[in-house]
Amino acid sequence: MAHQTPAVVMDNGTGFSKLGFAGNDSPSFVFPTAIATKGGAGGGGTGSGRPAVANKPSFLTGGAGPTGHLASKRGTEDLDFFIGDEAVSAAAGPGYGLHYPIRHGQIENWDHMERFWSNSIFKYLRVEPEDHHFLLTEPPLNPPENRENTAEIFFESFNCNGLYIAVQAVLALAASWISSKSSDRSLTGTVIDSGDGVTHVIPVAEGYVIGSSIKSIPIAGRDITYFVQSLLRDRGEPDSSLKTAQDIKESFCYVCPDAVKEFGKYDQDSTRFANHVVTRPGGRQVTVNVGYERFLAPEIFFSPEIYSSDFLTPLPEVVDTVIQTSPIDVRRGLYKNIVLSGGSTLYRDFGRRLQRDIKKAVDKRQEESRKRAGVTSSGPGVDVQVISHRKQKHGPWFGGSLLSQTPEFRSYCHTKAEYQEYGPSIVRRFALLGGPGGA
Amino acid sequence: MPHGPGQARQPQTDNTLDGSPILPSIIQSWHLRAVIMLLLDYQNVLIQNILAERFSGVPPASVDQTVSDFDGVLFHISTPETKTKILLSIQIRCFRDLVKYGAVEVLQREYGEYATDTEPGYDFSVLIDLEQLPEDRDDREALVLKFALLKRNAMAAPFEAAYTEHYKLKEEASQYTSEEAPKGVLEGGEVMSIHYREEEAIYVKASHDRVTVIFSTVFREETDRVFGKVFIQEFVDARRRAIQNAPQVLFRNDPPLELMDILGEKHTGSGDVGYVTFVLFPRHLTPQRMPDVISHIQTFRDYFHYHIKASKAYIHSRMRKRTADFLQVLRRARPDTEEKERKTASGRSFRVQN
Repeated sequence: MAHQTPAVVMDNGTGFSKLGFAGNDSPSFVFPTAIATKGGAGGGGTGSGRPAVANKPSFLTGGAGPTGHLASKRGTEDLDFFIGDEAVSAAAGPGYGLHYPIRHGQIENWDHMERFWSNSIFKYLRVEPEDHHFLLTEPPLNPPENRENTAEIFFESFNCNGLYIAVQAVLALAASWISSKSSDRSLTGTVIDSGDGVTHVIPVAEGYVIGSSIKSIPIAGRDITYFVQSLLRDRGEPDSSLKTAQDIKESFCYVCPDAVKEFGKYDQDSTRFANHVVTRPGGRQVTVNVGYERFLAPEIFFSPEIYSSDFLTPLPEVVDTVIQTSPIDVRRGLYKNIVLSGGSTLYRDFGRRLQRDIKKAVDKRQEESRKRAGVTSSGPGVDVQVISHRKQKHGPWFGGSLLSQTPEFRSYCHTKAEYQEYGPSIVRRFALLGGPGGA
Repeated sequence: MPHGPGQARQPQTDNTLDGSPILPSIIQSWHLRAVIMLLLDYQNVLIQNILAERFSGVPPASVDQTVSDFDGVLFHISTPETKTKILLSIQIRCFRDLVKYGAVEVLQREYGEYATDTEPGYDFSVLIDLEQLPEDRDDREALVLKFALLKRNAMAAPFEAAYTEHYKLKEEASQYTSEEAPKGVLEGGEVMSIHYREEEAIYVKASHDRVTVIFSTVFREETDRVFGKVFIQEFVDARRRAIQNAPQVLFRNDPPLELMDILGEKHTGSGDVGYVTFVLFPRHLTPQRMPDVISHIQTFRDYFHYHIKASKAYIHSRMRKRTADFLQVLRRARPDTEEKERKTASGRSFRVQN
């Protein structure tokens, strides 16, 4: 081909979908993975969790079906839907119900997802799928059947040119290559992926996820927002809506080295307190004081007991456990390359604090083991390094964009011809993109 | 639900669709929705979004994005010098064809004051200075839309040329009666061909009483071809039912006579290539309707493929529904009083006495 079309990179997450073209440094579209369809809201349908399917055309039901305007007679309901932000606003009005086709990272409703994809390709990205290669993402531990379903849709509905499905954690590792701290472009490391709903700690060894050691933490962005909100309420601030709490979280919060000392600093230095101005819908402005929540909110990762009573393990300890349960020969690599990804890892000094705490735990364990063994000289020690970088907000998407612009990307994809030759099971295996043997 | 715009190109087919309906009528039936609902936009949404955001007065930031559009068109939006000057470039596969039919003039007319030195590797560039925007909000929105329509405007050139030619020929033809008109006037102008995709092209021909637009289409997929046929067949019904003043549409597998001169014997009925002909009558050729008609006809292919894919998605959802129903039947068929061996605490088994 004389000129190559850029590959399309789509990262469909539980909350938001990130869509764009390979080679760009940020996704072109970020919108909720939501679809608004005519008829009842989520959970409706035929009991099995499926949406109601459009009626048969009236002439097939013997004319008993609803007559009236052409659209209803001809079964046009299936095109009457919105996705993304439009879906959210359409669902606010009458007639439309909002659905989220992805739950816990995995696609639950394929009918909705197929239409979501079709609309995002044609209406938003404006590409003819037959001309482009696609890079999609999946969560770790996605069942292979889901991959097959995805491939069926992309090859049979969209006739896409080529398809690659990558694991989000691996892409997040690839995204960290832009950081100056990452020297060797390795695909071994621990990914801390903290989005809105849940935080995962995922060990990856040479591009493959060590599934048995993955741990999830039920504390993520939404919890921080709730926590900020509860602090605002306790103080009786004039505005304590979720939106305000979220704004404060995003613009004021940071991670402190030691929460107890930080309280002292605030008490001595009143300039650390800030004000947040909220404009109410009427145009009236209220000022909300911002105090200890600036450092207390992200602190719930490190001292979860201040927020939750059921989950009490701090994040550094979870990371340490994850690495300790991984195979012994990759542990050094996992400690050395701890990569952050997702919006809830963006707090200032988050990486530094995490690195310090993990390092402390590792050193302590080594010290004890030396004592038990009776060795006095200290060994080489373990290198603990947490990598944070500019693109970590949309880490998996950026990693996908980075990898899919490489010239050899196309040879890693499965093509339509291969799909037809072997069937959907072909997508159970992909050659490792960006791994050894690659660039 | 966008209603109106679709009607400008609800066409009639001549019954040149060979063969009987291959798929059961159920597939045919819901194709009409395509005509009623969901047209694609003409502008590039992404460019529109980016510019709208930049124009809204947020602090300037650097942008560097490559954006793709249908038919292999590539945009590059960047801020090469300062953050307040946005460079927008477009690359079109068939730009050379378009230039031949006056694309440069059309683009100069539309973007004259913004046009700038073309970025290397691209075909046309505009430079937008954020410090010299119109004050009025509506004007800004109009400007955003204008830039987002860059592809549409570039592609519009041959159609505009055809319109102009049609007016000229009409003028000339009005001097003669139909018998004595000279050959050149009756037959109309040259066929303009735009090779907008690798294997597909648009042909435009103007004559004194109509403008003919022919799309050559290639389907790589057998199923798509069937869908495409059914889809066009549905246009017939649409015209019969409601909309009589739509342009005429013909579909055939061998090149229409208009193209014989250009294609020669090259593509005679190989089966893969189909030709969709739109005949625009004077009703569609008024200067007032020109912009709309051009926009519609340009998106024909994308629209066509979009709806083929949407139709497949619809079939898939029905298939999934049916599978779920069958599974439910199977589940119900399972006997629910299965004899189970039970064990006592010590490990001996026993049967439940009824």
